[in-house]
Amino acid sequence: MNKFFYLTTEGIKNVWRHKMTAFTAIISLFIALFIVGLLATAGDNTHKVLQYFRSKYKIEVFFKQDVSNEEAVGLIHRIKTIKGVRTATIIEKEDAIRIFKDQFGEDIMDILGYNPLPVSAVVNLSRTSRDPIRVEPIIKEIRSIDRVEEVRYQGNLIKKIERNYRRIIDRFPYLAGVIIFVAVLIIYNTVKLSVYSRRELIRSLQIIGATNMFIKLPFIIEGFLIGLISSALVFPALLGSVKGINYIFTNFTSWGIRLTFDPVVWIWLFSLVVVITLIGSYRAASSFLK
Amino acid sequence: MIEFQNVTYAHQKGNGVNNLSLTIEEGEFSFLIGPTGSGKTTLMRLIYFDLLPDAGWVKVNGFSSKKMTKRKIPKVRKFIGMVFQDYKLLYDRNLFENVALPLHVLGYSGREIPDRVEEALELVGLEGKDYHLPNELSGGEQQRACLARAIIKEPDILLADEPTGNLDPVASFELVRLLETIHETGTTILMASHNYNLIKGRGRPIYELKDGILRGR
Repeated sequence: MNKFFYLTTEGIKNVWRHKMTAFTAIISLFIALFIVGLLATAGDNTHKVLQYFRSKYKIEVFFKQDVSNEEAVGLIHRIKTIKGVRTATIIEKEDAIRIFKDQFGEDIMDILGYNPLPVSAVVNLSRTSRDPIRVEPIIKEIRSIDRVEEVRYQGNLIKKIERNYRRIIDRFPYLAGVIIFVAVLIIYNTVKLSVYSRRELIRSLQIIGATNMFIKLPFIIEGFLIGLISSALVFPALLGSVKGINYIFTNFTSWGIRLTFDPVVWIWLFSLVVVITLIGSYRAASSFLK
Repeated sequence: MIEFQNVTYAHQKGNGVNNLSLTIEEGEFSFLIGPTGSGKTTLMRLIYFDLLPDAGWVKVNGFSSKKMTKRKIPKVRKFIGMVFQDYKLLYDRNLFENVALPLHVLGYSGREIPDRVEEALELVGLEGKDYHLPNELSGGEQQRACLARAIIKEPDILLADEPTGNLDPVASFELVRLLETIHETGTTILMASHNYNLIKGRGRPIYELKDGILRGR
């Protein structure tokens, strides 16, 4: 117990004794963790961005001329049962006249003397699914309803955006993997340099009769502390970044997207740091004591 | 206590010791003399198992080089104190921390350590210098600090490898006298030196090494 207390204190003191090395390592590790944290947060918020894109999906369904408002209600109920459809709103013949007037400034009844506009529906797609929604099968199914005259859909561009966005998001884990690898190297090299710069201490300890574990432990604690400080700094940084992005979204865009920061992301990062620092420090110290 | 039986050790660049047999009894204070490169340091390193013989065997306090493993080495070194010509003090730690280091290795509690450090520093005449950094001390004082670090764990064996090599004659003489004081407590001491004038006439066994061969006693 005495030994453990002494070695822990030594590990803490070592961070202070070698402030510059520790500072550089903390900053480097902080940057690596911050990027991984941002990627993880972005990945975690993917569905919100997708929701925004999906809110732009709008399928307009025009029924045949002879479909009455009452019959259209039944057809809309059928459309609502299609998987991936969130809502379907009827636009009755009378509403269509009003919309026409709003858009063109003319009353079609005055021009033609009758209402040629059919009953239609606006179909919105489900937003909550984390998987990309395949729009084609939905359109195909709506078209298969024989009382439907025409289906208009302008989601091709959004579909492309969604596909590319997905493509980027899918690459995040690989990118995070590379950054984590860099973080391991940072810790490994920091501890290795630290061990090398204190080879005289190690030699003295060996001569005195210290075991390898006694020599290694302060280095492991030192590496662990560097990781701990870095991950502690990452938490407010990620939180601040998410708040900053939300501020920009709220005040400078009309997207209506609000990102959230899930503390689980930080817990993962913290666990990652624990593993990285323990393995990195142990291996670095061991490599010198072979 | 220390036994060498037909020990040979060769460094890659030559030197070392050749077919050396030697016995140092418990409680003995002996000197090892010889010119630079004669094998004095090699012999010392063989005693604390920093080197293992190419041939023959070394036995220290019942531990034999034949059965020596990496795990056992720290155990042997716990009862060996060492003093070096270049002191091997830690220059980023004060005297107190330097001297206390072996006690931490042995697992002494924080309450016991200050008294023992004070005692050791007093014995070597460095009382009141606890918080000085090594480079604030003279060569003689640094060597005495090194000695305090070596004796604080009350070792059975004290090895001093050219401890006076960097000291002036007065400091050298004082250090040998200090070693004699420590020896009175029953510690086995082996001191290597190339300064015959310093060790002659003390009535202690003197082992002479030349080109790695023990020439006589």
